[in-house]
Amino acid sequence: MLGLVGRRLTDAEFLSALGGSLRRMVIGYGAVCAVGIGAGVVVGRTRWLNELFGTVAVAIHAMPGAVWVPLAVFFFGLSEAAVIFTIFLGAAGITMANTSNGIREVPPGLLRAAETMGARGPALFWHVTLPAAVPRIVDGLRLAWAFGWRALMAGELLIPSIKGMGRLLNEVARARQLDQLIAFMIIIAVVGVVVDYGFFRRLERGIAARWGLAG
Amino acid sequence: MLVELERVSKRFSHNGASTEVLREVSFSVEEGEFVCLVGPSGCGKSTLISLIAGLESPSAGRVTVAGREVRGPGPDRVVVFQESALFPWLTVRKNVEFGLKMAGISPASRQRRAAEYLRLVHLSRFADAYPHQLSGGMKQRVAIARALAMDPKILLMDEPFGALDAQTRRLLHEELMGIWQKTGKTILFVTHNVREATVLGDTVLVVSARPGTIKKGFKIKLPRPRRESDPHLIVIQQRILLSLQEEIAKVVKDEGLEHLIPKTAAVAGADRDLGSSL
Ligand SMILES: Nc1ncnc2c1ncn2[C@@H]1O[C@H](COP(=O)(O)OP(=O)(O)OP(=O)(O)O)[C@@H](O)[C@H]1O
Ligand SMILES: [Mg+2]
Repeated sequence: MLGLVGRRLTDAEFLSALGGSLRRMVIGYGAVCAVGIGAGVVVGRTRWLNELFGTVAVAIHAMPGAVWVPLAVFFFGLSEAAVIFTIFLGAAGITMANTSNGIREVPPGLLRAAETMGARGPALFWHVTLPAAVPRIVDGLRLAWAFGWRALMAGELLIPSIKGMGRLLNEVARARQLDQLIAFMIIIAVVGVVVDYGFFRRLERGIAARWGLAG
Repeated sequence: MLVELERVSKRFSHNGASTEVLREVSFSVEEGEFVCLVGPSGCGKSTLISLIAGLESPSAGRVTVAGREVRGPGPDRVVVFQESALFPWLTVRKNVEFGLKMAGISPASRQRRAAEYLRLVHLSRFADAYPHQLSGGMKQRVAIARALAMDPKILLMDEPFGALDAQTRRLLHEELMGIWQKTGKTILFVTHNVREATVLGDTVLVVSARPGTIKKGFKIKLPRPRRESDPHLIVIQQRILLSLQEEIAKVVKDEGLEHLIPKTAAVAGADRDLGSSL
């Protein structure tokens, strides 16, 4: 099986499928980071928006990523944009919710101390509010990566016209090549784990150490 | 007078209900003076600090610092809080530099000032540590250095040593005395602890139960360094405690906590954190 996985990793067709999937993920996730954090900041600093989205966010979390696919197809047709939009819808909510919570939960003592030292307005935000919220924001980004990865696969499986890991899975399953199927699944799992452990867990550990948080 | 409060009142409204926290508080602090505020829990001591710091504004009356009415926070009045409120993502050095950075001071002179004040609190060795690597007492010393680095006219301290053990607290008293004598800063210091107030202050003001007013002021002329067990100091402590005890009795009665106070406890020890257990 490992041999099969290894052979697949040198196969040009496979690599271009994996590359396509990763490209969509990077674009979708980039949009998630930008819009999710941006919206989270706005929501976290606006009381009525925060109350409004507090309830909506719970509903969005409860939604499996695949549910967004038909909506994405409705807007973008059976296209690559629809897959990217699926990633966006599946992961932006959690990013926004964590960012706004992080912003709202900045210890008031820190803000007061900063104010007495002359920090206000944008300086207070950049130098105190945002860094204080970083651990929560990164926590949200890690979850968003996992949610987004799932949403990507859901989108690709349901929109077979796009060249990517989803279509390869469907093809080998239809051809009843179980070993190939499992090799693909292992690769998909490994990519998720590598990013999660190799990047996010490390980042979180670094932040926890610097921010002095337990764990 | 450096700081003057003239008939300052403060009300907080919450869901339509309004509580009067301070009523017509008047007192003044001279330049270079060390004034301690003691009073039962909830009497408005922290509120007084916030008013002078400009974090809150009075409902009536005037707060002036160096002749100018306080209209918001300013670098001439810096607060040291009980929970040191250091920024956990910044090193000790960067924490001390924070206010200077906000004031737009150049990195080179920021570094120089930070180093100078870290030396003053004997923490030069920890300049590159993060706050969570420090003990409670060290954190408070960093907070003091951070406040002093701004070169404020007055240092406002709200129970800065309240969370420390007796031993550490005593060391920090000595340290603070040294800093006060060296820098000549004006200090307004809130505490629950009468012994602490008498060891440190030129003046001890007793704040009454809510609504807070200044009930009594005690001048302490004894030379420094003062020994906690100095008989003269103990006499003053007992007088302050008597005054304070009446206020605590009021709080106890208001809150229906009479059953918690043993009848034999006429005058509690000066080192007890009065009111903090209510
Ligand atoms: N922002 C606020 N809104 C509403 N009520 C407040 C606010 N700040 C303080 N209070 C109330 O004002 C009263 C005085 O509070 P304050 O913190 O000044 O007391 P304190 O003397 O510092 O007490 P302690 O010794 O326990 O620190 C309390 O009853 C508190 O609930
Ligand atoms: Mg207080």
